[in-house]
Amino acid sequence: MLQFPPWKVALVLLTLAWGVVMALPNVVNMDDAPGFMPKKGVNLGLDLQGGVYLMMEINPDEVIANRLEVFAGDVRSAFTNVTPSERIGHLPDVKGRQLEITLTRPDAEGNFPMDEALRRMRKLNGNVEGAIGGAKTYEIEQLGTDRILVTVPAASEEALMKDALGKTMTIVRRRVDPDGVSEISITPQGNDRIILEAPGEPDPQRLKDLLSRDGKMTFNLVDDSPSAITSAQAGVARAGYRLLEGPTTGALLVRNIPEVTGADIANAAQGFDEGNRPQITFRLNSNGARKFYDTTRNNSGKLFAIVLDDVIMSAPRINEPIPGGNVRITGDFTQEEATDLAAIIEAGEMPAKVQFLDQRTVSATLGHDSIRAGTRASMIGLALVAIFMIIAYGLMGGFAVGSLAANIVLILGGLSGLGATLTLPGIAGIILTIGMAVDANVLVFERIREEQRAGRSPLTAVQAGYERAFSTILDANVTTLIAAIILYLLGSGPVKGFAVTLAIGIVTSVFTAFVVTRWFTVMWLKTFRPKKLAV
Amino acid sequence: MLLKYWPQKTNLSFMNLRLIGAVVSAVLIASSIFFLATRGLNFGVDFAGGTVMELEQTDTITVEGVRQAMPLNADVNSAVGTDARSIVVVKYGEADASILGEEFQALSASDQAERATGATNELVTETLKEALGITDEQILRNDSVGPKVSQELFRDGITALIAALALMLVYIWFRFEWQFSVGAVAALAHDVIITLGVFAFLQMEFNLTTIAALLTIIGYSMNDTVVVFDRVREEKRKYKKMADKEVIDLALNGTLSRTLLTSGTTLLALMAIFFLGGPVLRGMSFALIWGVFIGTYSSIFIASTIVLALGMDLNKKPIEDVPGFQG
Repeated sequence: MLQFPPWKVALVLLTLAWGVVMALPNVVNMDDAPGFMPKKGVNLGLDLQGGVYLMMEINPDEVIANRLEVFAGDVRSAFTNVTPSERIGHLPDVKGRQLEITLTRPDAEGNFPMDEALRRMRKLNGNVEGAIGGAKTYEIEQLGTDRILVTVPAASEEALMKDALGKTMTIVRRRVDPDGVSEISITPQGNDRIILEAPGEPDPQRLKDLLSRDGKMTFNLVDDSPSAITSAQAGVARAGYRLLEGPTTGALLVRNIPEVTGADIANAAQGFDEGNRPQITFRLNSNGARKFYDTTRNNSGKLFAIVLDDVIMSAPRINEPIPGGNVRITGDFTQEEATDLAAIIEAGEMPAKVQFLDQRTVSATLGHDSIRAGTRASMIGLALVAIFMIIAYGLMGGFAVGSLAANIVLILGGLSGLGATLTLPGIAGIILTIGMAVDANVLVFERIREEQRAGRSPLTAVQAGYERAFSTILDANVTTLIAAIILYLLGSGPVKGFAVTLAIGIVTSVFTAFVVTRWFTVMWLKTFRPKKLAV
Repeated sequence: MLLKYWPQKTNLSFMNLRLIGAVVSAVLIASSIFFLATRGLNFGVDFAGGTVMELEQTDTITVEGVRQAMPLNADVNSAVGTDARSIVVVKYGEADASILGEEFQALSASDQAERATGATNELVTETLKEALGITDEQILRNDSVGPKVSQELFRDGITALIAALALMLVYIWFRFEWQFSVGAVAALAHDVIITLGVFAFLQMEFNLTTIAALLTIIGYSMNDTVVVFDRVREEKRKYKKMADKEVIDLALNGTLSRTLLTSGTTLLALMAIFFLGGPVLRGMSFALIWGVFIGTYSSIFIASTIVLALGMDLNKKPIEDVPGFQG
């Protein structure tokens, strides 16, 4: 217990030096320090630096319905984009979690081409991604003589949700951070949730507006004959068309099947038109550009609507075939609106709408106030504990205070080194640790005092004190550590921050109390060889 | 030095007072359950759902102004915020669908239920910004928690408390004996129930940080109990013939000085948070301060009393200490 060979001293000093180096950026500006020194201090939580926290969820029902819609589209191509004699007449209908396809055209004998329909659909039915044994994405069943039911089995649903969550995260990232420069963090939680944390953002509304849109972009042909629009407004729309509105175009009758979709957009950006008004420009990929050219060539004189989430953004008249696939939307946008719309268009369509379950905003002002209040409380708490310890134990108390200082350096260093996040409850955790850290010292000192009272010399009393206090200190701290670990596993946000500081604090306080204080004490004993230890 | 006047070697008979302790605890637990049943806990938005906003108080942003501009019933109060800033605190639940606009009414019932909190927040924030000219920076805090998440947070909080108690039970069982683990966990449950009772009685806000505080109380109280138990085990081995009651009293007296000192330093640190840490940490530090008292009390009067009642059989099997720690 009393032996401190050089390697052990070196280890203690190295640990302390590591703590100092790691903790330094929190106190001084390290921009000019040599390269090997860490430059960044501890990460501050949103409650300390201000910002927006959003928890969103994607709805499994909607993900599945959307996937079934896509599958219905694939089926439509397989049934109709073939030579006329091979076409299969059908009517798809997505209801909740199932797709029902009704065959509509029987042959001369009244039989439906069921086997051929099933064969073509099974060809489209791919394997579940990542599944072992080649489970299929959809379950395809025949119902009676003319109907086919498509459902999503549980194993496939899980894979689809995972895929949808991944896609949604990518789209969220591209929408809120199109240039990839901000500090916004986007993390998944479970299999249907995403947490977005945007430090420094004062207003959640803009983020929510950006994320709550589907981002479904289509280019559709328009029937703008007044009679057709009037009858649609009366409730009788022309078959295959529907009535949509637009802020600059008014109500128009838009063809249901789009000519070009958002999937064909290569990129989108905000720009300015000749009158220096904000506009959105975008470029189609080669496939999209070809389709766009064909449509404009074959439909001269008609209106061509650009539709985003069922709202007509713009509907210019086609005057001539447009090659190259460069498109622009002019309208009544502010520059910010145009920038956001460009980000939404480029990011693409969400696999499902997101719902916001939990949103929290803290202003930078409140964050600064909290840091100031937290720092002041820590300083005063530390001073009070230090005075108390010195009054209670004199010189040994002084040693304990020295190791308490080392403890705080190590906690700060540990938090910075582990890349943990410091929150306001986390600061409370540090202060609490300051109060509790001395416990290990107190346990040892009380033992030493008892041993001395039993008539032992200072050296043997110290030796026995440390030996006998060890198992108590271990038990007592393991139990607190259990509480901290549970808090970390089940807590969220700021509470997690508290758990992290508490856990780090327990480890460092046992180390400092048991190793650092002991080392101070032993050095002092060996140097001065006192007859009696004032504890 | 103060320690000259500190009780160095006490010989108090705690176990003679155990009946009084039991009565006091029974009364405290009964009244806690009474207050929990009648008044209930004052849940914050974390667990109750809804919105809480903190606005910087100015000439125009006043309690009266906010009340007049609010489009729905709300709890509007003035308060002292972090770093002595004057603030206006606005709390509200969900607005009726009729004032949330057509787009909202078009949603399905389940979507409406999930989005009502957020939609209300949007409406209120817009309305207040317009009516009172509030800037983003003057909205110090704006938290909305939907019903789904608030229920989950509550469930997770309760799970955490139960998991902590169960793990403590197992750990103490493993390190000591079952009598000790029953005593320790009964003491912890005692602390948690009475702390909840105090929160119900004072109607202090109960939120996520309070759960964190409760878990820390569990940790702290356990810490205290373990120190006493460790000493009991040691004295029991040393004085094999001594009656359990005297062994426990000996251990309690032997650890008394440490108990008081550690509680003292922890309380000093917690007082600093309570008075200087701002309103966010006030509920948490209050719970912790209370926890230090109740945790210290329960390790003496609950944990030890139960061990005494159940009896110890430490002599029957050899118990190994932490093997071979050598400095």
